[in-house]
Amino acid sequence: MSLDASRIRVLAGGTLIIDGVDCTVPSGSVSALVGPNGAGKSTLLRALAAVERPADGTVAFDGVDLMSLARKQRARVAALVEQDAATETALGVAAVVALGRLPHQSLWRDETADSAAIVAAAMETAGVTEFAGRDFGSLSGGERQRVMLAKALAQQPRLLLLDEPTNHLDIGAQLAVLALLGGLALAGTTVLAALHDLGLAASYSDHVIVLRGGRVVAAGPTAPTLTPALIREVYGVEATVLHNPTTGRPVIALSPLR
Amino acid sequence: MLGVALAVALLLSVVVAVTVGPANIRFDEVWASIASHLGLGTSPLPLLRDGIVWQLRLPRVLTAAAVGAGLAVSGAVMQAITRNPLAEPYLLGLSSGASLGAVCVLLLGASVLLPLAAFLGALLALGLTLLLASSLGVITPTRTVLAGLAVSAFASAVTSLVIFWNVTGDSYREILGWLLGSLAGARWPAVAISFAAIVVAGIPVMLTGRLLDSFAFGDVSAKALGVNVSATRWGLLAASALLTGAMVSVSGAIGFVGLILPHAVRLIAGPGHRALLPLSALFGAIFLVWADTVARTLFDPRELPVGIVTAIIGAPVFAFLLARRRAST
Repeated sequence: MSLDASRIRVLAGGTLIIDGVDCTVPSGSVSALVGPNGAGKSTLLRALAAVERPADGTVAFDGVDLMSLARKQRARVAALVEQDAATETALGVAAVVALGRLPHQSLWRDETADSAAIVAAAMETAGVTEFAGRDFGSLSGGERQRVMLAKALAQQPRLLLLDEPTNHLDIGAQLAVLALLGGLALAGTTVLAALHDLGLAASYSDHVIVLRGGRVVAAGPTAPTLTPALIREVYGVEATVLHNPTTGRPVIALSPLR
Repeated sequence: MLGVALAVALLLSVVVAVTVGPANIRFDEVWASIASHLGLGTSPLPLLRDGIVWQLRLPRVLTAAAVGAGLAVSGAVMQAITRNPLAEPYLLGLSSGASLGAVCVLLLGASVLLPLAAFLGALLALGLTLLLASSLGVITPTRTVLAGLAVSAFASAVTSLVIFWNVTGDSYREILGWLLGSLAGARWPAVAISFAAIVVAGIPVMLTGRLLDSFAFGDVSAKALGVNVSATRWGLLAASALLTGAMVSVSGAIGFVGLILPHAVRLIAGPGHRALLPLSALFGAIFLVWADTVARTLFDPRELPVGIVTAIIGAPVFAFLLARRRAST
């Protein structure tokens, strides 16, 4: 069940933000969306989640055009975790996670009998059960991030799109979230996460899409794609790719241009 | 549970409020009068006392209940869809716009169109407020309230002008009624209009609690949960304008009900809208029944417009909410 996007163009206020993106996100692995600030990562994620209709192009998941689905159907397939979620409403954590059940509910009734169990499982998976009773507003940035992930999991999506899911997290929590995404991918969810940390992308993703100026400049399996030459071209820094003897995964060491 | 208790409290409030007033009428007399008019036996009350219950007090109290419920629900809905804790029909200019629309058709002698004109006035005022707020830059809660203030001041001024120009004799009192909000003139037609608005706009709006919850994290988040954001937002704003317009057409611009009640209910029942909307309606109804009872008895035999009572309670609440916002941002 892969995500296939073709010829995606997104305009914002007359400016072309995404300029003809073709990409494939394979299932069963974690894909990373990387690129410098302003490359259009967030915009592309919203288009791939079919939350914002692109000016042009198609997004298909498992062969089904996401744009052609009814809104609720689409939200049962794809979940989007935004960056820096904030609210002025004094919602409790459990209530926030329960919002994820909305695509499975009508105004009058809950269409799934075990909603409470699904919400509880989502909180357990994202590691937020211990603060289920607290107010969302009282949480730290990292805790909020995990609550938003739990909300997305409560949607029971087959496609999970995340915008900087490791922002605000301390290093231990960053690795925990990426390991969690790896587990979800193995269990069959298609996962695409925008990451600005190339090191994390190299260590934790199997597939990478490199975006710059609204265009895909490279895409493919992570290790062969993230070459020093590509990193120099896209980010303007020197990179040396090493191998982590513990994990056997690539490690990227960065230095200024010589 | 709370809902049932409040419904009982509302029923009792209505009956007790009818007994209160210059002519002392007992509890059992109220029941007897209502029962006789509903076709259950004949009224043992003298014609005059029966008239006080059935022609004056009962319609006024019922109108107060419906108006309170409608304004409180409007406030709760507007706070959710504009993500603005200070949103309220009065503060955003809807009530003044509705007053202007209502006064205009009254003077044209087309009172049949009263609720429609009030609705259009409310809608126009809301549109102007949002337009003005967006012209100040990004729409923030404070900017929206400032824009609402400007729209409201203008609509009130035009309302005064229209009345001064056209009405003779007792015009001063009439202007105050529209501008400050008063239920003194509420009879059975007012009951019909306000209850119809509750049925047509209030009850459908109360069923949208789950949708309103999804607005907590903004538009993109709501869209990602499968909500049709723009249809929901404009539909609910229109329903709020309709609700406000209908209520203002029978009572003038009563302020702060839509601000105080939803915030009070959140303290008791939390911010989830599936509980917040119906509970705000019930609390709003009870609140306005008693506010109006105070308004008509406190300085007996003179009557205060009920809008003065709600403003005396509501303005400090507004100030408190402003101060709290400033501390948090």
